Amino acid sequence: MVAPSKPITQDLTERFPGAVSKDTRPGYEGYIVSANKLTEVATAIRDEYGYEYLASVTGVDYIADGKLEVVYHASKMSGGASLNFKVQAPRDGEPEIPSLVGVWQGADFQEREVYDLYGLRFSGHPDLRRILMWEEFEGWPMRKDWKEVYYEQDAKPFKTRWPEGSVYRIEEKNRFNKNVRYPKGFDPRSFKSDGDEKLYALMRGEHLPEHQRINTDEIIVNMGPQHPSTHGVFRVVVKLDGESVVDLKPVMGYLHRNHEKIGERNTWLMNMPYTDRLDYLSGMGNNHGYALAVEKLIGSKVPERAEYLRVLMVELNRIANHLWAIGFLINDLGAFQTPMLYLAKQRELILDIFEATAGSRMMCNYMRFGGVVRDLPSRIRDEDTLDFITDLVAERLPAALDEIETLLTFNEIIRTRSIGVGVLPAKQAINGSAAGPLLRASGVPYDLRRADPYSIYDRLDFKVCTRPNGDVYDRYLVRIDEMRESIKILKQVLRDMPASGAIMDGESKYTHKVPNGESYGRVENPKGELGYYVVSNGAPNPYRYHVRAPSFINLTMLGDLCKGHKVADIVVILGSIDIVLGEVDR
Amino acid sequence: MNEVTVIIIDAAIKAAVMALVLLTGFAYMTYAERKVIAGIQVRRGPNRIGPLGLLQPAADGVKLFLKEDMMPTGADKLMFNLAPIITSIPALVIMAVIPVAPDWIVNGYTVRFVVADLNVGVLYLLAIGSIAVYGIVLAGWASDSKYSMMGGLRSTAQVISYELAFGLSMVGPMLLAQSMSLRDIVHAQEARGIWFMFLQPIGFLLFFITGLAELNRAPFDMPEAEQELTAGYFTEYSSMRFGMFFMAEYIKMIAVSGMVVTLYMGGYLGPFVNQFPPLGIAYFSAKVFFLLFTMIWIRGTLPRLRYDQLMSFGWKFALPVAMLNVLATAIVLVYVM
Repeated sequence: MVAPSKPITQDLTERFPGAVSKDTRPGYEGYIVSANKLTEVATAIRDEYGYEYLASVTGVDYIADGKLEVVYHASKMSGGASLNFKVQAPRDGEPEIPSLVGVWQGADFQEREVYDLYGLRFSGHPDLRRILMWEEFEGWPMRKDWKEVYYEQDAKPFKTRWPEGSVYRIEEKNRFNKNVRYPKGFDPRSFKSDGDEKLYALMRGEHLPEHQRINTDEIIVNMGPQHPSTHGVFRVVVKLDGESVVDLKPVMGYLHRNHEKIGERNTWLMNMPYTDRLDYLSGMGNNHGYALAVEKLIGSKVPERAEYLRVLMVELNRIANHLWAIGFLINDLGAFQTPMLYLAKQRELILDIFEATAGSRMMCNYMRFGGVVRDLPSRIRDEDTLDFITDLVAERLPAALDEIETLLTFNEIIRTRSIGVGVLPAKQAINGSAAGPLLRASGVPYDLRRADPYSIYDRLDFKVCTRPNGDVYDRYLVRIDEMRESIKILKQVLRDMPASGAIMDGESKYTHKVPNGESYGRVENPKGELGYYVVSNGAPNPYRYHVRAPSFINLTMLGDLCKGHKVADIVVILGSIDIVLGEVDR
Repeated sequence: MNEVTVIIIDAAIKAAVMALVLLTGFAYMTYAERKVIAGIQVRRGPNRIGPLGLLQPAADGVKLFLKEDMMPTGADKLMFNLAPIITSIPALVIMAVIPVAPDWIVNGYTVRFVVADLNVGVLYLLAIGSIAVYGIVLAGWASDSKYSMMGGLRSTAQVISYELAFGLSMVGPMLLAQSMSLRDIVHAQEARGIWFMFLQPIGFLLFFITGLAELNRAPFDMPEAEQELTAGYFTEYSSMRFGMFFMAEYIKMIAVSGMVVTLYMGGYLGPFVNQFPPLGIAYFSAKVFFLLFTMIWIRGTLPRLRYDQLMSFGWKFALPVAMLNVLATAIVLVYVM
């Protein structure tokens, strides 16, 4: 990225007159860029304005205006608020806008997702296939006129189960019989999927000219979706030359439940427990991001004690998540579960705190718009709550981390297997929208808690941990460093937290009046930047609810990281990225 | 009864006992492994079936028998069936040449605590040990699965690479004892009054490490690397055919421990073993148990090496060191002693 000779203060509308205009809809901000100038504007935003990092790409279907909109959020690595720009396309026919993969590699999967869910094509995208749905899926599920069978009013089969006393199952008459809609002239019995064949052809290089295709003994292997170390139903298709990886493509969507569609059906508050299920190892952080996004729209002020409780829970959650991530990483290195179980011991205690406070160990559903739902209990495990947490934070967790360091950090096998493996250079990490420990292990000190402080992070003293090399070993070390920083934060929180006080802004209520507008709430989740883009049209439910899932976007670079390494390294690199399939597939 | 009949009956009894002991040993090895690893991992391990979970192996056996036996459609039927047998038979017969106690004269009849005292016992160990790898390769090839195939190939490469260092580290004791018979090697250790592991520390360590690699045990369990190849060469096997691979692996663990004990740790030697020879069985077993425990301990502690690292360790380190060790031993024996 070329640094601008002098800081550009010129407004985008002046820089590109005619092509860029301010978004003037009430409650909206940012710019609207015309589609034919998009690549040029995006390059300028990246190179001249210094927004090097494309955080989020998503679509919105404004059916009343007959428009599809793609919303981009770009950030500066030096921090500050993100820049939001939009492109609009007519929703009828075959809408198409230019792809930004050439500008930001990180747009790759996200554009595929928009295409998959909205049917908006991105011209110039190198590999525009469906990503979450399967290749033969009929329709664009996130469009407002796509009704989910059995769940949305027009498609519900239950309206008249007993018309005129005659009994029939309306499912039999439903045009979506068996929950599937077939295109005309389609016979499911004689159908054979060619979705995988397309992918394999791509891997075999059949799109290349004849002379570049060399028939060697390369084999294509499917790892997953049922595989012991893909951390869930994740699949990678690998082209192997002996033991070496020649090419790799991730395939996902096996756990896709259209979280966002469900989110648009639910009322604002009903989404809170759903966020727990995204990255189910860090439910607290998920709650926090969603609460922030909606609070921005509502404009509620979170009471002091509630802020401290939030940070307390989120940082405990970060430690729990990193313990688990490290345990699994070592497991992927072939250790027979031992380190994982040692770390799980500490994680259990953190989950005990969650259970005593929120009522559940993982699906916490703890935060509300304007506060948290419950105060700390008086006792945990027959101990005074504060004593329990203080003991955990001050004694047990540091001791456990020291133990990890002595047992694992300088283990010869771990070092030889992880140093220099899966190196992600800083430049590519930024360009590819890597987030969280993956980004910081490449030496980029970008942490939203510092870059764009939310909650009370601006008054807490902690360091943004980075490591210079960007390999698997550094990702492991960054996680350990971050846990130490989290302990530091927790100590300050325990010291400064008001002993009592309100935990909710006003009354807690079931329905919220959310003013019109858009909002992007983001938090530094253990796995990276977790963003929620929500749009309200004043209805009791979100008009648009999008999750910028760090696990999903971090996978964009998996192929590049693995190329040239051995089969065994795929698993390790995947483990070092630390994904949760609930969040990848949503 | 003529002499031949006696020899045949004698060998048959000993072989039967040996097979029985090994099969029971296998069953309880699985139990021991689970218990020891549970201990390492701050868990309890199997404790539901029988007192202390001691009947767990029986339950596992029953389970394996009752499981559906599946074969992939594209598999080569003959080879697919043959592979587990080829792997498990050598594991069972490898112990035949290892003496577990000194000769015992009862009522004028000499009881030899070895099934067959070959004068080329060491060669026998090497030869039989290498046959097992055919089973693995065939299993990988016959399964018609890419994972199995890769497991099989890795295994071939691994066993061939480590065979050399493994074989060379057997040469030290052979030179010291000036015999290839395992009984003579134990006798030599008795005569010198010191176990060969102290005379040949490098050879001993190499032998144990390469033994682990021969066994496909952690940290060299490449062919069945769960994290990468799901289960390696036996991915497609189920039911008792899987059980046979499992059995072969554990019995080979016992066999390799027996080899290490005999060659380097004085075999059955121990106090008063000459006064009351059956005591040798106890000493021999105790040493074998110690080595088995060490193997389980290593598995519970260490991550796995990567395939290429394993190969470079085998060829660039283990093999040259083993050769130098043999050379040094020979020079010392000829010119110094």
